Amino acid sequence: MLGKLLKQEFRATGRIMLPVLGALIVLAFLASLSGSGLINGVTDVPVLRFLMGMIEFLFGIGVVAAGVVTVVIMISRFYRNLLQDEGYLMFTLPVSVHELVWSKLIVALVWFLVTGIVIFLVMGLLGLVLSRTNLVDLMAEFSSDWEEIWSQIVSEGLLASFRKFFLAGAVCTLLGTVCTCLHFYAAMAMGHMFNKHKILLSIVFFVLISIAFSLMTTSLNMAGFSQISENEFLYAESMALLFNTLSRMLWWLTLSELVQAAVLYLATVLCLKRGLNLA
Amino acid sequence: MAILECSMLTKRFGSTTALDDVSLRIEPGHIVGLLGPNGSGKTTMLKLANGLLTPNSGEIRIAGMEPCRETRRIVSYLPDRPYLADWMNVRQLLDLFEDFYTDFDRPRALEMLEKLHISEEMRIREMSKGTREKAQLILVMSRRAKLYLLDEPIGGVDPATRDYILETIIRNYNPEASVVISTHLIADVEPVLDEVVFISNGRVFLHKTTDEIREESGKSVDQYFREVFRC
Repeated sequence: MLGKLLKQEFRATGRIMLPVLGALIVLAFLASLSGSGLINGVTDVPVLRFLMGMIEFLFGIGVVAAGVVTVVIMISRFYRNLLQDEGYLMFTLPVSVHELVWSKLIVALVWFLVTGIVIFLVMGLLGLVLSRTNLVDLMAEFSSDWEEIWSQIVSEGLLASFRKFFLAGAVCTLLGTVCTCLHFYAAMAMGHMFNKHKILLSIVFFVLISIAFSLMTTSLNMAGFSQISENEFLYAESMALLFNTLSRMLWWLTLSELVQAAVLYLATVLCLKRGLNLA
Repeated sequence: MAILECSMLTKRFGSTTALDDVSLRIEPGHIVGLLGPNGSGKTTMLKLANGLLTPNSGEIRIAGMEPCRETRRIVSYLPDRPYLADWMNVRQLLDLFEDFYTDFDRPRALEMLEKLHISEEMRIREMSKGTREKAQLILVMSRRAKLYLLDEPIGGVDPATRDYILETIIRNYNPEASVVISTHLIADVEPVLDEVVFISNGRVFLHKTTDEIREESGKSVDQYFREVFRC
């Protein structure tokens, strides 16, 4: 049933996210064209130059808006689809609460990832155009640089350290995003157990969870980081050692995120199972 | 085994007691009217049967099970409010019901939609209040469920549609299934009811067949209800 829920969730969110990301890509192309036009001085007409500037400005707004829309969709899908009137349908489908929460979480993560990739690509595109770099030259330069870096990595035996570092970074980022989503979910699920002031209470729970977790993670991270000496980090004897140290720090962060995610997930499921209180 | 059974069921919202020590047993194959004035606890009881609320004490069982994933497979529930996503059109909703409920009978739904002139392409947000209620009821009644829990199914529709809806309930009714209709429009539903449950201030104080009420009181259920609940 999780597959069917994911299908519904993608259908519900895709109708907003796809046009938003599509519009961002179109804006990026327009901004690239107008940006290169401005730099190359293709026109002296003030109105045209103003319009070109406006497109650049709109692109900036578009990038921020795409990020904001992704966050708003993540929150509103949980709120509207589970805790408002639509919850009457969702909670009477023959699915478990776990499946409901996972479907929301997985789809939110996918959209965060897709939005992140699109923003990275469009910013890169604009950066290339504005720096007047020829893409072919850049690729050739990058290719020769990469060969040099790669041979250095292999000769110094850095490959394993790099792999560890990037794996730790990816897992840490993914779990961080999971924690952000579950933080909102848990706060809303808790706030909606009450009969009145549900939104206000959700905000209160959000703040309380933030405080509790910042205290918890601070002590957990201190315990973890205390094992890493300053010398190890600041005066690492080699790149390999430095990256190993950074990886260890990231794994400690990941561990604290894992604990947070587990607590928030259990709290969300428990509130929805035992305290569901649809208006 | 009873299809719906409450035993000493109590639900409170803060200081308000919505259901107070309710015990009730509904057997398969009956159409039951859950009748009572506004705020008497009808909706709360149906929500509890669907697991949308958790009781403070007592228990409610569907075919011997507490409300859970298994009971949702056999219960078809119509809430008292618009509960379908307003961006969806009828076809998407048919797909959704077909996806999740193995007992959903799509040809039956299409037949009813055609009869009530509701297009498959129509979005929920484009529908009038009455059409929306009709679409919801069609989806719910197109399942071959064992228990139908209908909360105010005819409240927002015109009298002609009311007749069609009640006729639909009777026509699609599987003799082994039970239907619980919560309403205060008693005169309209009376002809289709086998039993009635009177509920007031969260307490069930009468559970009889409609024939028993008519024989004992010499009145219709509607007249009897008006007498009992006179302000």
